[in-house]
Amino acid sequence: MPNLSPFFVTGLAVGAIYALSGVGLVVLYRASGVLTVAYRAIGSAGALLAWPLAQDGLPQALAWLVAIGLATLLSLVYGRVLAPQLAYRDTVVKAVATLGFALILLGFARWYWSDDPRQLPLPTSTMGLSLFGVRVTVTRLIAFSLALLITIGVALFLNRTRLGLSMRALANNRDLSAMLGIRVLRVETWAWLISGVLAGVSGLMLSDLVRLDAIVLTFMVIPAMAAAVVGRLRSLAGTLIGGLLIGVLEAVATPFQAITPYRSVAPFVVAIIVILWLQRRRVITFTGDQ
Amino acid sequence: MKKLSNHPMTRRQYSASTEVGLRKCLSWFVFIAMLSTLVIFVTACTSSSSTPADTAAEAPTEASESEAVQPTEATVSEVATEAPAEASADEAAAPTEEAAAAEPTEEAMAEKPTEEAAMSDALCGLGNGQEATGEPINVGAVVGATGPDDFSSAAKGAAAYFNCVNANGGINGRPINYIVEDDGWNPEQAAQVAAKLVNDDQVVAMVGNTSFVECAANAQLYEDENVIVISGVGVPRECFYSANIAPTNQGPRLSNLGMIQYAYETYGAKKITCMAPNVPGMAEWLCAGLAAWGADKGVTVETVFFDPATMDPTSLVLQAISSEPDAITVSTPAGVAIPIFKAAEEQDLREAYHWMGPTSLYDLDFPAAVGSYWDGHLDAQIEFVNTDSEGSDNQAWLKILDEYGTPDDPRDSFSQAGFLAAKIFVATVLELDPASLDRETVSEALRGVSNFKSDLVCGPWYFGADADLHNANHAGRIVQQVDGGWQTVTDCFEVEDPDLKPILDMEAAGGLVD
Amino acid sequence: MAPRSLNTDSAAQGQPATGSPAAVASLGSVAGVTVPLILVAVFLPELVGSFWLRAFTSSAIFALAAAGVALLYGRLGLVSLAQVALLGLGAWVTLRLSHGAGLPFELVLLGGGIAAGLVGLVVGLPALRMRGLYLALITLMAAGCFQVIVGGTGFPDGGPGFLGRVTSAGARLLMARPLIAQSDPAYFRYVVVVVAAGFLLVALHRRTRPGRAWALIRKSEACALSAGVNVTLYKTWAFTLAGFLAGIAGGLLAGSVGQLDGRNFPASDSILLFALTVVGGAYSWLGPAITGLLLRAFPSLLIAWGVDGNLAYIVFGAALLHALITAPAGVAGQLSDLVAGLRARFKRHNKEQDE
Repeated sequence: MPNLSPFFVTGLAVGAIYALSGVGLVVLYRASGVLTVAYRAIGSAGALLAWPLAQDGLPQALAWLVAIGLATLLSLVYGRVLAPQLAYRDTVVKAVATLGFALILLGFARWYWSDDPRQLPLPTSTMGLSLFGVRVTVTRLIAFSLALLITIGVALFLNRTRLGLSMRALANNRDLSAMLGIRVLRVETWAWLISGVLAGVSGLMLSDLVRLDAIVLTFMVIPAMAAAVVGRLRSLAGTLIGGLLIGVLEAVATPFQAITPYRSVAPFVVAIIVILWLQRRRVITFTGDQ
Repeated sequence: MKKLSNHPMTRRQYSASTEVGLRKCLSWFVFIAMLSTLVIFVTACTSSSSTPADTAAEAPTEASESEAVQPTEATVSEVATEAPAEASADEAAAPTEEAAAAEPTEEAMAEKPTEEAAMSDALCGLGNGQEATGEPINVGAVVGATGPDDFSSAAKGAAAYFNCVNANGGINGRPINYIVEDDGWNPEQAAQVAAKLVNDDQVVAMVGNTSFVECAANAQLYEDENVIVISGVGVPRECFYSANIAPTNQGPRLSNLGMIQYAYETYGAKKITCMAPNVPGMAEWLCAGLAAWGADKGVTVETVFFDPATMDPTSLVLQAISSEPDAITVSTPAGVAIPIFKAAEEQDLREAYHWMGPTSLYDLDFPAAVGSYWDGHLDAQIEFVNTDSEGSDNQAWLKILDEYGTPDDPRDSFSQAGFLAAKIFVATVLELDPASLDRETVSEALRGVSNFKSDLVCGPWYFGADADLHNANHAGRIVQQVDGGWQTVTDCFEVEDPDLKPILDMEAAGGLVD
Repeated sequence: MAPRSLNTDSAAQGQPATGSPAAVASLGSVAGVTVPLILVAVFLPELVGSFWLRAFTSSAIFALAAAGVALLYGRLGLVSLAQVALLGLGAWVTLRLSHGAGLPFELVLLGGGIAAGLVGLVVGLPALRMRGLYLALITLMAAGCFQVIVGGTGFPDGGPGFLGRVTSAGARLLMARPLIAQSDPAYFRYVVVVVAAGFLLVALHRRTRPGRAWALIRKSEACALSAGVNVTLYKTWAFTLAGFLAGIAGGLLAGSVGQLDGRNFPASDSILLFALTVVGGAYSWLGPAITGLLLRAFPSLLIAWGVDGNLAYIVFGAALLHALITAPAGVAGQLSDLVAGLRARFKRHNKEQDE
């Protein structure tokens, strides 16, 4: 039995990435009813913009702000201009429409920012500490604690503030909420804004921890969805735990020769098992939205 | 009683539904019109600043206006060391014109325009400065441009050479019409565009193909239709074992093998880890070659196959070092390798193990991307001469790229490969009668190519029609990352792959090389 | 906006959102379909070059796959985001049977179809307990599993035997095409015939017992249960049929290209196929046909025009968004609206003239 503890540590680091993305997805879904496939594309667009700006000599902090700003702007554009046009459609159709947006962003990113090999260096990557035989950089620690902090922060926001309450109401039933006087457009705009900021921040972290490649980053949204699924698309704590679990499982499978080429299957398997387990007692009798 | 169909309400309903339908159709027309205008506009803008013969349109990046234009033409020897691959961030200072060869296209070249132009004239085609105006000869290329990586630089290198030839008399007066198609890393699309080139465009040959998938998908088509392919860069096994395809490069198996030969001889490495992306038809073939060589020398080779889209390079690194090797070869494209090296840096592993890789790591952006941590600790084997070499063909490549290519074209080993392939093609076809140039004669001539010497490759290149394996380039050099760039460490040395025996015997029998 | 919420209500009831039943019937008349189809099959290969012939062959193949998705979504309101994975599975099985067992093409094709049908059945089992977003997500996860597994094991690369691997030298085998359809034009006709047979199979289902059962299940499962319809059976039947169609399509794709790559069946393509099925229209046979053209003929057009592959993504994404926003019943629905409207106008015009 190979020594699994260093893989456990790296798994937590990767899992934090999944969790961070999953939390952003869940927040947006709870508030606007849209499970966006374009989440990671928005984040990566921001990071891709930051890189040439930083190369140009712009101070790092300013480049990051611009990156987060771009991600927020893209999110708002979709949320205010395109999403309302699909507001009365099937949930799945709304989710799938964001794929169109993701393709636009992906195509533009690959066309405009050519394909040179690169990685976004963050200054926190030079410092680190040793844990169970693995060196963990400060960036990873930040990613991990960010995942925790954001989860807690967003949960508090949704549960304790008025705006959060409005968001939850909107997610529950759009028409009733509108009748009750909740300002639909304003609340949704806030939801998309928050989601954009989260996407930008996690996009920056990811470009340092993984690599700055538009395709890889964009389609990372599917494992992120797996993490969101573990949280039943509702519970932020569940998403966090799900993301970490997926990351750990994927990493500890590495030393086993037979399964190591297939270890990326971990997010999907976990998600399937969780969904089946959660739905085990349901029987559908009426049509409706679930 | 009024007929119901005449009742104003029903009439309005009918017209309402038609109106809605028509309005929606109209919205489609407007949308398509806007989109087409946009696409045409963008394509026109991007193709006006790239060589017209290159239909795989590249977009010059206007990424940052504040970045100074890199004077890549200033001194040729500076070109390679000063990261010319940042040409992608250059502004397209002036679109290249294929008209008179004597006109320099960049201002920085104005130092000795006529002399330099005259030099490049002599280095391609007939070298007579006259533009070719005869009936065009169609030549094709299939490259994997859109997808996990952009492999189009070989075709760009070839395109620059063909442009130069067309400006210098063409193929005995006939210009070359170079048609480059993108296969999107999809065998379905590869088959489709190859069918277009072979059947619809009636190309006489393919030059500069570079794709992960097209060799496998199209080898049978090329055989059936008697089309010879002088690949730029072949990667999977099919590019070397197909009857009608001969690459100018060595391939990852030989490149890696050359690398670990050096590790064995110089570092005394007895245990090597072969890290390769889990692409069937490549990873196993590649690491099996290393293992076969190692079996003779008592060198054990462990393999680590991984999903190239993995988010977790640290686990890969941990797995690679788990068998306590002496050397680790990272056989992936540069973009996938960077996170792996970053992860190795995080774990501070450069002293504990020797890190190396094949020619795919030899990218001029690579040292900057992995950082100075790796200076003096990262080796690569290169299939062609180093890009800043003073050899005449290499210098010609750089000059011709400057004059007939675009500033965005990468100056990397893929480009060298494509350039060499184009050179071989032109040299061969110039010997043929221009009036009777067709696929039959060209294929026969290309099959007979032998003893083609160039300072771009270590040994003479040949097609080798009688063997199953087409791998004429089987000797290379070692470079090491030093001071943010690459330094050549060894001279040419042969790669000792047991599978090369049949063609080595063939070479020894005479006629192909001297 | 009133028209939009009306649309979703009627869509939930299994009818095309706008357009009268008469319009749908006019499109669905079998004679009206087969004659143009025969003309296309016979004459198209003569009129277009190799490039477009292959584009249309691929379009037909993906139209068949889209028919499966349209069946599930249009008839039953169930979302399956695993169709491309099932297509890849069918292609994988077909290739391995062909290399390993050396059976004739038709048998191998059926084998691929059956394998994909069985896996489709398994993928559809969760549908017994959920619908909507969760079902979509679980099928997406299944597609993700397939993507990783086939990326690792890979398609056969031309060697003999069931594994089909060539280790070094050796002649490469491509998938053998059917004996009667070796050339590209002949293979195109073969594909058209098989795809038409697939569409007819779907139409047959719709007009007989399963179709009625599906319609009732969609309206209300409680109603269906109380009417004695075996809900489990018919739901799994739908998924199996969709999987079968995907498998057949995969086998045809394998025959068309001869050699496939494991990285070309990603989960995101399944999402794209579903999106384009909604865009094309999930409520009539014309929808999947349009989907097939959008998936393969439209990108081929962009290639022929020399549009950079990355720009093509932008165009695709924009078109997808536009179509989803403006056409709830898909392009086929809009066309049927147009036809109905014109017909009504024509009839009215005639009646006015008669008076």
